[in-house]
Amino acid sequence: MAEASEAARVGRVEFTGSRHELFLILIRGYALMLPTIGLYRFWQATWKRRFYWQNTVIDGEPLEYTGTATQLLAGFFFALAFFLPIYIALFVLSMQESSLIVLGYLGVGLIIWFLMGYAIYRARDFRLSRTLWRGIRFDQRGSAWAFALRRFVWSILFVLSVGLIYPWMASSLWKYRWRNTWFGDRKLEIAGNWRIFAGPYFAVYGLNILTVGGTILWMTSTGDYRHAGTSLLPGPISILAWIGCVIILALSCCWYRTRSASRMLSTVSLGEAKLSVDIGAGPLFWQYVAYVVCLAMLLVLLLVTFGAVLGSVYAVAVAAGKAPGAVALLSLFQSSTLNVVLLIAAYLVVLGAFGMLAELILSYGWWRLLARSASIANPDSLNTIRSAPEDRSLIGQGLADALNVGAY
Amino acid sequence: MQFAARYQDGLVAEVRAAECVLDLAADPVALVILDAASREVLDRWDASAAYLLHSRMIELRIANRKKPAGARLGVTGVADTRSALGLLPMLHTGQRKDLWAQLRILVLATAALASVLVAYLYGIPLLADRLVAYVPPAWESKIGATAAAEIERQMTDGKGYVVCDPDRNSAANVAIAGFVSRVFDGLDSPFHPTVTVVRSAIPNAFALPGGRTYYLSSLIEASRTPDEFAGVLAHELGHVYYRHGMQSLIASSSTGLLVGFVLGDMTGLSVAGAVGSHLIDNRFSRQDEALADRFAAETAQRLGFSPKGLGDLLERVAEDDEFSRALALFSNHPLTDERRAALDALDTPTPQARPAFTDAQWQAIRNMCPLPSPPPLPPLAGSP
Repeated sequence: MAEASEAARVGRVEFTGSRHELFLILIRGYALMLPTIGLYRFWQATWKRRFYWQNTVIDGEPLEYTGTATQLLAGFFFALAFFLPIYIALFVLSMQESSLIVLGYLGVGLIIWFLMGYAIYRARDFRLSRTLWRGIRFDQRGSAWAFALRRFVWSILFVLSVGLIYPWMASSLWKYRWRNTWFGDRKLEIAGNWRIFAGPYFAVYGLNILTVGGTILWMTSTGDYRHAGTSLLPGPISILAWIGCVIILALSCCWYRTRSASRMLSTVSLGEAKLSVDIGAGPLFWQYVAYVVCLAMLLVLLLVTFGAVLGSVYAVAVAAGKAPGAVALLSLFQSSTLNVVLLIAAYLVVLGAFGMLAELILSYGWWRLLARSASIANPDSLNTIRSAPEDRSLIGQGLADALNVGAY
Repeated sequence: MQFAARYQDGLVAEVRAAECVLDLAADPVALVILDAASREVLDRWDASAAYLLHSRMIELRIANRKKPAGARLGVTGVADTRSALGLLPMLHTGQRKDLWAQLRILVLATAALASVLVAYLYGIPLLADRLVAYVPPAWESKIGATAAAEIERQMTDGKGYVVCDPDRNSAANVAIAGFVSRVFDGLDSPFHPTVTVVRSAIPNAFALPGGRTYYLSSLIEASRTPDEFAGVLAHELGHVYYRHGMQSLIASSSTGLLVGFVLGDMTGLSVAGAVGSHLIDNRFSRQDEALADRFAAETAQRLGFSPKGLGDLLERVAEDDEFSRALALFSNHPLTDERRAALDALDTPTPQARPAFTDAQWQAIRNMCPLPSPPPLPPLAGSP
């Protein structure tokens, strides 16, 4: 009896971190980001990861993030070595004839696209090899260059096939990632294939073509539009139809994302332990709605603040005896030092506010959703996993592992 | 005193419920980890090598320097946490070390900030100044040609700007070209500037790398004497002679790189890159304007026309229209009081000064941009 219940035991995954706690981390991070002109971002990323990792409790044992900010910083310097030649190439390019510029930018764009694949794989490697659970390290093997090449070729095919090839692409890349993932001395396995993606993907693809195509067809056949200069404006019913299209797009994307992630992740296994994930599409959709609403509110807030600042500056200018008018206002911004300070401050505040919102609502929401909908069947079978020997090559290339910071 | 913990040895993925007690008799003092059920000894830790890891609020995670990297004790619950901290006071020392590490980071960040500022203030101007000498003039001319094609396309693209007098052999263009070659005569410059007059309501003039110079019609209209026109033109030719365009191009690229380094955008395609290059342009202009002013004044003395014109014209334009003054300041010809003073200091009146252009030439230049015909009147309401 005891044996039977032991064999059927399912390990739950919990998430114990609160949004409030994450908010405090983010606020402190941005406060330190300003005086360090952004260099604090490596420490900020580390704090955020610690928060997510240590609050994810799998079968009673939390994950642990062992990476440090200095490693990220070193990785960034390594990334510099990649980007310096590209930067110089762009500089030289910008001085050539325009047809050459277009060609050159295309070439540089392709190189960056290729390197992004490398960086994505390296970043995953970095995070996994610095993730500890039950005192055992995860790891990712395989070659980052091979992954980059695979992703590059697939993405070209993706464009050529107007997106129809996506299920095969997604399945190929998922498999490469997961089959090269290790926990201690045991390899993870993923059984899912392109069929898992194909159903939801083509359903969403077809549905959206139908709604958008139908709306366009209806608009042109009934003449429910008017000309405004050179552009076409839809009529009242068409506007409603377009809003409907956007809502259907958002809903179907949520459904696709949760459905494909749930089904694919549910085929992941580690020896006899099996992962099972079931995320609902509804909660994700409401997250998007909340994000859009908060974004609108934030925009209004920023505009009001900007207006108030401009107004008070103007008031100061008038009080100081300057002639009121646009000239007086403009003349205040003629000092280049003031411009530097203002622009950098505005850049960081705006970017910080939007980044924070996305982090608090979307990233946090997705992570919590994923964690709470996951469980592990037969977690006791993991007890025999031994720690793999320290991955020397990983430490040797430690710099490259942190390529996830920087340009993206 | 003892505390309950979840123990992992860092070698096998197994979590065991444990009881931890202190063995004071051992040397060094040892933390003995016992299996919670069987009381069998699982491990002995050197207590002084134990340290605290960062963890979520409701948990204490302890590692040991002398054990495998993954060896852990996880302690939850108020009572157990309290006794763990009581038994292992050295855990606090570890936290103090953490504080020092944080302080070191702050110092490092400040140093980084300082070095970026130094690079911005001194490194980049120096770099641009040195590097420009290594750019082949032919290359610079090519860059100028590319930029010119772009600018002319923008200017003539349905925005009401027109290149005035496109005929290079007209009296006015010949007069201007003659003036340019007299200015550059004997200067040992690889460039042969060309001047294009463009219709525009903004009184301005500018030079591109390689010598293509643009003079906007409003500035000609504002000029009362040929010397004023010649003064501003000589000023722009000064920019060409000193290769300021190329220099600021190098400088803005380097700033883009620096800004990219700080903000983490190495492609320089973002807002940050654009902002960076704009700022550097503004900063450079001050020194460069002064150099070009000096060039204009020396040219005036060499060619024998009055160097007063440049200052007079800039001042009149500034007084004429305060709004365009603000715009001009934004562009890059600020007429500050110090600049005016510097210009006056350069102005050593030459007794036998004669105008830079003859009356006929000046008249031709004034007529390069005839006023456009007024737009057709709207039809009157009710008219057939």
